[in-house]
Amino acid sequence: MAPSFSITRYNQQHLLPYLLEFQLTTIQYLTLIDTLARFHLRGEARQFYLGYFWWLLEPALYIAVFYAVFQLLLDSRQPDYLYFLAVGKLTFIWFSKSVVQASFSIETNRGLLSQVAIRKEVFPLAAIQQGFYRQLVVLSFLLVLLFLSGKGQFHYWFWLLPLMFVQMLLISGVGLLAALVVCWHKDFQHLIQLGMMFLLFVSGVFWDVNAVADADVRRWLLLLNPLATLIDAYRQILLFGSLPKTDLMSVLLCQSLLLLSIAVGAYRIFQSRIAVRVLSR
Amino acid sequence: MTHLLTLDNVSLSFDMGANSRYDALSGIRLQIAAGDRVGVVGANGSGKSTLLKIMAKIFEPETGHVEWAPNVTASLLTLGLGFRPDLSGRDNAYLSCLLMGLSSKAASSCLDEIESFCELGSFFDQPVKFYSTGMRARLAFGSALLNQSQVLLIDEVLSVGDSVFREKARQALEERLSPERAAIIVSHNLGQISSLADTAIVMERGEISASGAVDDVLNVYQRSTVSSR
Repeated sequence: MAPSFSITRYNQQHLLPYLLEFQLTTIQYLTLIDTLARFHLRGEARQFYLGYFWWLLEPALYIAVFYAVFQLLLDSRQPDYLYFLAVGKLTFIWFSKSVVQASFSIETNRGLLSQVAIRKEVFPLAAIQQGFYRQLVVLSFLLVLLFLSGKGQFHYWFWLLPLMFVQMLLISGVGLLAALVVCWHKDFQHLIQLGMMFLLFVSGVFWDVNAVADADVRRWLLLLNPLATLIDAYRQILLFGSLPKTDLMSVLLCQSLLLLSIAVGAYRIFQSRIAVRVLSR
Repeated sequence: MTHLLTLDNVSLSFDMGANSRYDALSGIRLQIAAGDRVGVVGANGSGKSTLLKIMAKIFEPETGHVEWAPNVTASLLTLGLGFRPDLSGRDNAYLSCLLMGLSSKAASSCLDEIESFCELGSFFDQPVKFYSTGMRARLAFGSALLNQSQVLLIDEVLSVGDSVFREKARQALEERLSPERAAIIVSHNLGQISSLADTAIVMERGEISASGAVDDVLNVYQRSTVSSR
């Protein structure tokens, strides 16, 4: 009989064959992720009297609250503040809600986790896919609203597609990492929610990042916070009819790809230990 | 004899917090060949389900080694822990098919067969949260039946539901246990183990305390449980 060996040595020797032994192909995994996302959205809608209408109602209520505070109470000087706020807030909600839902998705699916040998990325990616479907509806509604009000600029609307693609990359990287750290310690859930609150205040959701007087501070804010760059880029395209800055967009793309690469690497390393970690607590 | 699965000195412990660990499995050595039908008995917490999860690749051993023969797949049949309560039986069955590796088209075409086997009537299109335990068991078993894995790991799926369905499920399982496949059956129902398995093992505190021909092992196990009371 072979002698016992430690988990580190086991992983080094057997990690690749172990991952290849998962029974589904890439196409099957993509089908599964999409089905999980659509079924979850259907199940969620069935729980509420207003069903799918909440997809629009929830962000609309958020915007109404922020508008009441910043425009009516604090008298913001930003022109067309309602639309300015709507673009920022809807972009932020897509990011924050997707990441938060992804963060507890593996824990939520512990039933499935205990039944099938499956790549654990499936669950956060399904949560992220749900967010994407919601955003498609919400963004369509926003575009119609901007068109009808005459406040929108549509010269560069097609730039929304690569911008949304980059945002999906960013959400996937952050969401996958968030789900993994929550598997190890549930305490991270609190930190992630606190982090979202922090990002809400520093990403220019209800203020204009270009209004920061100090050019260096403004640049560092955009470089260090990909979400601020994203929100500003959506506003440039939809409200100001101009293209986002190429250098900032390149940095954003690199940041998103880097985060996603780290996440993919982390799942390759920790894949086989996630189920024990989640199911034994 | 072709070994489908070999467990060599496999151990696994769980972190219980506060710097304590619980030894769920310890030094397990087991070989499963094509055509084997192995019953697994033991008290609650003895490591039966953890053993099946190791075999199903859900858990990886902490020490030791598990070797699957090339292209051999093992699937765990349990009581639908993964069912989503807000989805209908049909949706959950479809999802189960996808999780077993069926394509979207193949999964859709299996739904009629599952519906017919489960005998849930109009409940098949109702959310699972309205199902009784027996109805959930029917759905779980009906969905799991389509599994094509060479190693079937059966965890208590034959112990619930009414007696008519239990017998139907037992017969359906019997039909699927071909000589090319192996089955490891966990149950507290010793009669079921005796009728489905050829050999058996007894799990005690994460270790195999007895193994051999099914009736001999069950006799030993029954005597030990009676004497321990």
